[in-house]
Amino acid sequence: MILTRVRDALIVLFLVMLTIFFLGTIVGQPEEQLAPPDASEEMVQQIREDLGLNRPLVTQFGEYVTGLARGDIGESIVIARGESAMGLVMDRLWATMKLTVAGILVSAFIGVFGGIAAGIRPGSLFDRIMTPIAMLFVSFPYFWFGLLFIVIFAVNLQWVPVLADDRQFTSYFLPAVTLGVHHGGRLYQLARSATFDELSKSYVTVATAKGLPQRLVVVRHVLRNIGVVIATMVGWEYARMWGGTVFLCEFTFAWPGIGKLVTDAAKQHDFHVIEAGVVVAGLFVVLANLIVDVMLGLIDKRVEVS
Amino acid sequence: MIAVVGVATTAMQSSAAVTRTTKKAATKATATTKAAPTTTRAATTTAAPTTLGATTTTPAAAKQAPNAKPLVIAVATEPSTLDAQLVNDRSSRVFTTSIFETLLGRDRDAKPFPLLAESYDPIGNNAWRFNLRKGVTFHDGSPMNADAVVFSFTRILSRNFGTQRTSYLEAIVRAQKVDDFTVDIITSGPSATLPIQVTAIPIVPNNAKPDLGTNPVGTGPYQFVKWDRGREIVAKRNENYWGTKKGQVAEYRVKIIPDNQTALAALQTGEVDLVLDLLPEQKKLVPKFASVQASEFSYIAFNVYKKELSDPRVRRALNFAVDKELLAKTVYEGEAVPNQSQHLSKEMLGFNPDVKAFPYDLDQAKRLMAEAGYANGFTLDLYTPIGRFLKGEETSEFVAAQLAKINVRVNVIRQDFNRFREVSRIRGTAPGAMDLKYSWNSNEFFDGSRIIAHITCDGSSSKICNPQVDKLMDEATKTMNQYDRGLKYRTVWKLLNDDPYSIYLLQQNLLYGMTKRLVWEPRIDDEYFVADMITTS
Repeated sequence: MILTRVRDALIVLFLVMLTIFFLGTIVGQPEEQLAPPDASEEMVQQIREDLGLNRPLVTQFGEYVTGLARGDIGESIVIARGESAMGLVMDRLWATMKLTVAGILVSAFIGVFGGIAAGIRPGSLFDRIMTPIAMLFVSFPYFWFGLLFIVIFAVNLQWVPVLADDRQFTSYFLPAVTLGVHHGGRLYQLARSATFDELSKSYVTVATAKGLPQRLVVVRHVLRNIGVVIATMVGWEYARMWGGTVFLCEFTFAWPGIGKLVTDAAKQHDFHVIEAGVVVAGLFVVLANLIVDVMLGLIDKRVEVS
Repeated sequence: MIAVVGVATTAMQSSAAVTRTTKKAATKATATTKAAPTTTRAATTTAAPTTLGATTTTPAAAKQAPNAKPLVIAVATEPSTLDAQLVNDRSSRVFTTSIFETLLGRDRDAKPFPLLAESYDPIGNNAWRFNLRKGVTFHDGSPMNADAVVFSFTRILSRNFGTQRTSYLEAIVRAQKVDDFTVDIITSGPSATLPIQVTAIPIVPNNAKPDLGTNPVGTGPYQFVKWDRGREIVAKRNENYWGTKKGQVAEYRVKIIPDNQTALAALQTGEVDLVLDLLPEQKKLVPKFASVQASEFSYIAFNVYKKELSDPRVRRALNFAVDKELLAKTVYEGEAVPNQSQHLSKEMLGFNPDVKAFPYDLDQAKRLMAEAGYANGFTLDLYTPIGRFLKGEETSEFVAAQLAKINVRVNVIRQDFNRFREVSRIRGTAPGAMDLKYSWNSNEFFDGSRIIAHITCDGSSSKICNPQVDKLMDEATKTMNQYDRGLKYRTVWKLLNDDPYSIYLLQQNLLYGMTKRLVWEPRIDDEYFVADMITTS
């Protein structure tokens, strides 16, 4: 039942919110950020009091949970005093979403096409070149690739600007490729082995033995079977983007999205904004997974969504 | 003592001269600004000669048509607000300093000069009278008058407002209207530092709207255009600006670029004209490099209440054991110099020329340690904030390695800056207090008074108590004669040298990357006036 999945997803989200609340309160002292540099202990205590941070953790937690239930996470304490934390995140959501979509398109292109091509002819020149490269893509930190791309394509070749503007098409090139390299590398590896495994199954041997041309075997049987697996993997990689990679990518490219906002908030311990950012990201992770599950059920009747 | 009193620096004399100002002196003050480069000792740049030339031609350049290509400045963190009265962090100041103005300006040598006030005088023991400039309007058209000034002071002084600029408000009680263009600032007692303090109190329109933080309105040479959250903040030239220094660029933009490497790349392509907080190793990668010996002094404060550190001989030994020259040369690639065992440099009020940097002298250090009975050393914790100060963590490790040579074992403890600030307020006698604390002290006022919170018995982060120092600091604040006031601070630094409150490390440089088209000389006080910036293309 889809409803069970939704319920599970909500439970996961709730757990995420609890974790982030306690992490936030352990790590953060937003009052330090508001106090003047030479503040006395009394002044800082006064600010704590004004913000209600001196109350017992249990009380604050209770308030937080009731707030959550009403969909109100609270206000920004430091980075945009008094503004709704969720509102700030929502303002940035569109920019991040556009980047994830561009990123997953590039990833899927690199990963799925490359992986299947390499999987069909293992050991071919293409496979021997691409497989180590994919390995490289996966194992190097992607923000390092981001900086490398900036130096090559923006500074040296000057094809695109360094500073991203989400309203400009050319700005998508570098961050999307950076995401594409990382996630595409993983997709490549998975798609390659899935194709390879599928091709060595006996029904393929039978079909080939019957005289069906290989192209037909691949298109009609193999792709249909591994399509489900690949769609799952693409969905999963998309969830992983929301799980963090897109945010670090935003940091590198000065992309005006949630990642940049939450980085600012984290630096200044503005925990309501961090919470709002995390819950939105969490929501997308959960949603992506949910969609994958539902899709699987639609594509492949053998999978029951439960 | 006599030697201390005997020598007067020119800086002190000229500071004494500025207490009274007239309209004529205004022009003089501006003239000093232009002549300043020699005293600012800009350890600059490939562009030093052109910079000097351009600074002198500012008024001329202002008459020409402004350069339409916007000037772009990169900051790492987005400002939380553009209300200059509320905050004082650098990323907001970079934008707001050209929007808002103050009663008095501060030239490159930290001397106050008339800005929104034409003249000012002390009145009795606890007030200063400011005569305001007539005919100045805010960007929204409202007049700059006594009402606006009184409102501004009332606003920033209000406890509920919660300004971070408290250190500039010391002793200010309130502002009082005398007539439409005369205002008295009432202080709790004689306040010699008031003129320099008001250089950091922005004037806002009377009954300013609550949205001043997102829609700032001042009297400055530039006016706010828009704040595109997460992307950039834009200002354009104020065509009705009252002053002569109108600014040469038609528009400036402050862009938020969190990653230093990305900012550097944007500088290389010319998408950004000015990058702050350059790393020493990036010097050679920028189109044009500039640095200035800033009013930033790095140090490692002692907890004098800790048994091992209570003996001044031990604290002197620790000072002798650190090779500051080597630190400046290696970690900072020469972009710093050892400071003269005081948080002042020679142009600042209270600098004591007889107090010198502790030389690197291991034998002396070992001898002092042995005398104090610590030949076998002891263990100390050194707290250092993460990512707060340029190369702060590297410096802490460096010092730890150096102190090991006199058997002092130092554990470097890295802390998030907020936690660091919290812990640094723990009293010296209380458990959990920092044995050693690495930090920087800035002195943008060029004034001996700035150090007060660190060295007086009840200073908010002080872990030393020397009644003599307290007495001198208190007297100094009430001494209206600048020369005499300077002498008090000199004596303080003599005392803090015999009985050191910290390991005195370096006077730090601020490092900048600029595009070739930008001509600007960085200021010692870490301020960014766009009207001072000239672009050649």
